[in-house]
Amino acid sequence: MHVAQLTVTIVGFALIGWVLWYFLVPPARGTRARRGEGS
Amino acid sequence: MSDAAPRAAGVPAAAEDGGGDGARAGAAVKVSFPVVGMTCAACVSRVQRALEGTGGVRDAAVNLATNKATVELERGAVHAGELVAAIRGAGYDVGTESAQVAVEGLRFAADVGPLEAEVAAVPGVLGAAANRATDTLRVTYVPGLVTMPRLERAVAEAGFVVAAPIAEADPVERERALRRREVRRLAARAAVAGVVAVAAMVASMPLMGVGGTGTADLFVRLVMPLHHALARALPWLYAVAPQPLKIALFVLTLPVVFWAGAPFYVAAWRGFLHRSADMNTLIGVGTGAAMLYSTAATFVPGVFENAGLPADVYYEAVSTIVALILVGRLLEARAKGRTSGAIGRQLGLRARTARVFRDGVELEVPAAEVQVGDFLSVRPGERVPVDGIVRSGRSAVDESMLTGEPVPVPKQEGDVVTGATLNTTGAFVLEATRVGRDTVLAQIVRLVEEAQGSRAPVQRLADRIAGVFVPVVIAVALFAFVVWFDFGPEPAAVWATVSFVTVLIIACPCALGLATPTAIMVGTGRGAERGVLIKGGQALEALAGVDVVVLDKTGTVTAGRPHVTEVLAVRGPGSAGPASEEERARILAAAAAVEHRSEHPLAAAIVAAAGEAGAELPEAADFEAHEGRGATALLGAHQVAVGSAAFLIELGVDIGPFTDAFETLAAQARTPVLVAVDGEPLGLLGLADPIKEGSVGAIRVLRRLGLEVVLVTGDVRKVAIAVAGETGIDRVEAGMLPAGKVQVVRRLQGAGKRVAMVGDGINDAPALAAADVGIAIGTGTDVAVEAADVTLLAGDLRGVVTAVELARATMRTIRQNLFWALVYNVIGIPVAAGVLYPVAGVLLSPVFASAAMAFSSVAVVTNSLRLRRFAPTFAT
Repeated sequence: MHVAQLTVTIVGFALIGWVLWYFLVPPARGTRARRGEGS
Repeated sequence: MSDAAPRAAGVPAAAEDGGGDGARAGAAVKVSFPVVGMTCAACVSRVQRALEGTGGVRDAAVNLATNKATVELERGAVHAGELVAAIRGAGYDVGTESAQVAVEGLRFAADVGPLEAEVAAVPGVLGAAANRATDTLRVTYVPGLVTMPRLERAVAEAGFVVAAPIAEADPVERERALRRREVRRLAARAAVAGVVAVAAMVASMPLMGVGGTGTADLFVRLVMPLHHALARALPWLYAVAPQPLKIALFVLTLPVVFWAGAPFYVAAWRGFLHRSADMNTLIGVGTGAAMLYSTAATFVPGVFENAGLPADVYYEAVSTIVALILVGRLLEARAKGRTSGAIGRQLGLRARTARVFRDGVELEVPAAEVQVGDFLSVRPGERVPVDGIVRSGRSAVDESMLTGEPVPVPKQEGDVVTGATLNTTGAFVLEATRVGRDTVLAQIVRLVEEAQGSRAPVQRLADRIAGVFVPVVIAVALFAFVVWFDFGPEPAAVWATVSFVTVLIIACPCALGLATPTAIMVGTGRGAERGVLIKGGQALEALAGVDVVVLDKTGTVTAGRPHVTEVLAVRGPGSAGPASEEERARILAAAAAVEHRSEHPLAAAIVAAAGEAGAELPEAADFEAHEGRGATALLGAHQVAVGSAAFLIELGVDIGPFTDAFETLAAQARTPVLVAVDGEPLGLLGLADPIKEGSVGAIRVLRRLGLEVVLVTGDVRKVAIAVAGETGIDRVEAGMLPAGKVQVVRRLQGAGKRVAMVGDGINDAPALAAADVGIAIGTGTDVAVEAADVTLLAGDLRGVVTAVELARATMRTIRQNLFWALVYNVIGIPVAAGVLYPVAGVLLSPVFASAAMAFSSVAVVTNSLRLRRFAPTFAT
């Protein structure tokens, strides 16, 4: 069971990191900076 | 209409802003069009980003409550197709509309191609299909991006003649139709999911309470009594072996996943591809995980058993979650329909038909066919069909639908009458001056529509939160899974899965997305019903935070209809006295001859007084107006000057004889006007302007609301102080030219005050524009006052009180909404993750979470709807 827990922990935290990176870090290629909400 | 204008995006009613940086950027145009498929704040920011990422787009505002996007474009830089592509690329779609165009001369099959191609090339047109059998062309287009005249031109360019003007769908009707369609669709999906959910719940009862999260789950605890009752009622169900039951549940759930809940999964996937996550992602991942787990437990239970895990299924949770969320959206869609009700009510006021005189015959025609210059007959009890001028007859007209003012206004020959107002007892003939889109009512509806679609600065907070909210929630859910798996009681995998799904389901940013726009819609709509037109969310927010109200005197605090009360003549070197009949006529004639060329209200009063005195006006030449101070002209060989004391002193006139009289008049709130001929004083006029009914009460309430009230006027200080004394104002800024009023506003702002300026919108336009909030006192006929953020149709200070109270009530509602939407998540997410379990032994079930989520958005919309019952101090 320890192996399962270790695996889930590692995969879980890797997924957390990936989700935050994928959705929150804007893709690098030629995208504009997030602009302010206008006037 | 200019030919060049709409090429850019087929843009109607181009709103110029002139703020371009040079010729390349040019003017900007604003377009507004429907967007389909948005469900939450995250969707809004995704669409907004997609639009802003389109080249040539200066600014984009997307509104969830109206499902509309408003985009400011550089003229000529963007093709409507690019906007449509951007929306579709983001995983949404534009709302479309179709029009049937009757085309003449559509005879040959070969005609069809070029015609269709020409029309389809119009920016904003998505498709065109000609039908030779009926001589019609069916055009599918994006409303807001295409105008009917543009379509007609395209038909003409293809060499055809449009048989009849293309009727554009009524915007309100269109919105209602869209809303109805949305409600119908949601209702069908919710019904299927609901039926399946109930069936699945019953069928899964025999499987419950066997291992799993058992008694810790709040939902299971609730249904436990049912469980026993069901076992007695349906013993055969309990006799079925678990495996066939699971397979039956799997089959039952398929239509929910593949049809009823399909939009969630599709939208979640599209969002995923665009690296964005919204509430669809949460629902998709949450129910998807439950579905996958259950499917695996059904068909390969061995894997679970080998790992020492129970092969539990959650089909009933999947269908119940989908059903509850759909029901929530259904309620939300219906409530959103009600928030925009004010416009519908106002449009409902229109007269459908009009009685027009054509060739001397009175004909009843649809109101839309009335043209400028037509003479119309309006009978007692009828609605006035269009704006116009009374040409004969007299009556009293109830204008309360526009101004909120309940007392009918008398109308006679020459008076202006507004369309949609209600004629009471008399009959009259009206000459139409404004029809269709130009009428006051149409302008009001447009203004309200724009306001309702606008965004308030406070929304930024919600947007910022929504942008990061969903990924963070997914991270929290994963974290909860890991913690439960590693440290939870056995069977840990089941606990972990349940808390993972529950966190995803309970965390919904949709309440956050609805918090601001629904309140603004209801607030601005309610204002319009009271004759208070607020330009948008920004104006509303600024108005709620105002500290100082600056009131212009003439026409705002006072009626703005001054009349001459005193005429004084020179009685020797240092003194003056009341003028004789003859002197009076002479003084008034000279003053009126100069002033009848001026548009100042005082000038009108002097001309009227001269008329009453029977004075004959000599011909004036070389008229010159000196803004806010006076005027000069040549009457024959004589140079005549009329104006303030300061102005005449400037001209070198010795005003010595009037010095005392001047003081006396001013102390009685009479505005003194001096008349001089060839540099010699001739007479002094005293003009009184009565204080408007309602001014005193309104100022008292404004002060009670904690606002500082300042009176600003071009009049002399003494007069201003007298008026201020009568109305209870304690701060006066007198002798101000329009530029000086701007200075007053700036000075107050410099002292850290947020200033609302109330004025007539013409003379006070610069000050209105300079203030944080410009409030224009209208007369019921000029609606779209450029410089104003708020227009009061009733032309009465009590409207200022209503506006401030309404703005404060709306902002309060917004803050409540945001607070509840946030608190709900702040409490809901940790509970769903299981923080209460170690303490109270309670874990939320996913079904519970989905009900709470649906409830949160319905609660926010309902809270906004409370504003419909907003009652101002001065209820009319």
